[in-house]
Amino acid sequence: MAAVVLQMIPTKESVEPDDRQLVEQIRQGDDGAFETLVRRKTSKVYGLCYRVIGNGEDAKDISQLVFLKLWENLEKYDPTYAFDTWLYRMVTNVAIDFMRNKQSRDNAVNSNLRLVKTSVDPEQTVSVQRKEVESVFNAVSNVLSPKQKTIFVMSEMEDLRSSEIAKILGCRESTVRNHLFNARKLMQQQLKRRFPEYARLWEGSR
Amino acid sequence: MMTCQQFRANLQPGTTDAALLEHLRHCDACLDHAMGIDPDLFFRSIGGEELVPPGGVDAFVGDVMSQVRVRSAETSLAPHHANVWRRLAIAATVAAAVTSATLAYRFEHRAPSQNVASHAAQTRVSVPHPAILATKSFVETYSSHNATIVEVPNDGSDAKVVMIFDDTLPADL
Repeated sequence: MAAVVLQMIPTKESVEPDDRQLVEQIRQGDDGAFETLVRRKTSKVYGLCYRVIGNGEDAKDISQLVFLKLWENLEKYDPTYAFDTWLYRMVTNVAIDFMRNKQSRDNAVNSNLRLVKTSVDPEQTVSVQRKEVESVFNAVSNVLSPKQKTIFVMSEMEDLRSSEIAKILGCRESTVRNHLFNARKLMQQQLKRRFPEYARLWEGSR
Repeated sequence: MMTCQQFRANLQPGTTDAALLEHLRHCDACLDHAMGIDPDLFFRSIGGEELVPPGGVDAFVGDVMSQVRVRSAETSLAPHHANVWRRLAIAATVAAAVTSATLAYRFEHRAPSQNVASHAAQTRVSVPHPAILATKSFVETYSSHNATIVEVPNDGSDAKVVMIFDDTLPADL
């Protein structure tokens, strides 16, 4: 009898529906399922938006916009494809659009500003701190195009493979690799100009 | 999570190993060492972290759901607005009906006036000028033994047409 009772207790896996099941429930009008999906994907969506946009409040607004678009377009999702790929495509489209608009606004404002050089001696050995790396990234990644930055973030920080990124962006894998190559090159050039103490790490190792 | 010793022993340039990357992203002490092996790990060290939107996940999800409810309410009012294509089709049909009715009306009212005009033109050509008639001699009575008189039957009107064949009459009469 005890064995029967144990079998009837649902496991965690059986209780929580996967993404496709949630989508099916939402299509049948279950708002609670949509809330579960939003809660499940918030960190992923916000994280990618934050890395690409570099500003917490903007990233939050863009993430909310992504979820609204998701809700409006859920009928178009084809369950034969991975849900995350479809979701990431939506995130990248919205984030890239936002970045393009923002860049054109910023270019108008910052066209007269000069690059500020740091006063650190290039020969000085530095200890790399993770928090610094984040601010360095935000500073030097502005030279990348929105698409380059999105690809760089997905590859380096979200650990997605080139093939996955190509699927998300709807382009060829070779295009993704080209963007990555150019992005790394531009970032190193910027590091040399603005943060020579970190740029030494590249020169020293190659 | 693996130890610093394990990390340093296993780290290779261009690594995609999830366990190694996880260690890299949580251990400042190993970051310097990793940079010496592969500088591309510089930016990789800031990934992988679970980021939370300002205000927390609950507030974020609450905001999204309230916006979804607003959109739902808007959508539920939307059925009054018929399908765009259907509305376009109805508009096109109405426009076509009005155009064809207008054309038909114009055609009907133009045709009689055109007939009258052409008839008037024909009459003008066939009727001799009054001045020419006035120069001709006018015969009120006529009597001859050699003439042949033919009366043309008419359709009941007062005018009577009579044809006279007489060799003694002048040629220009």
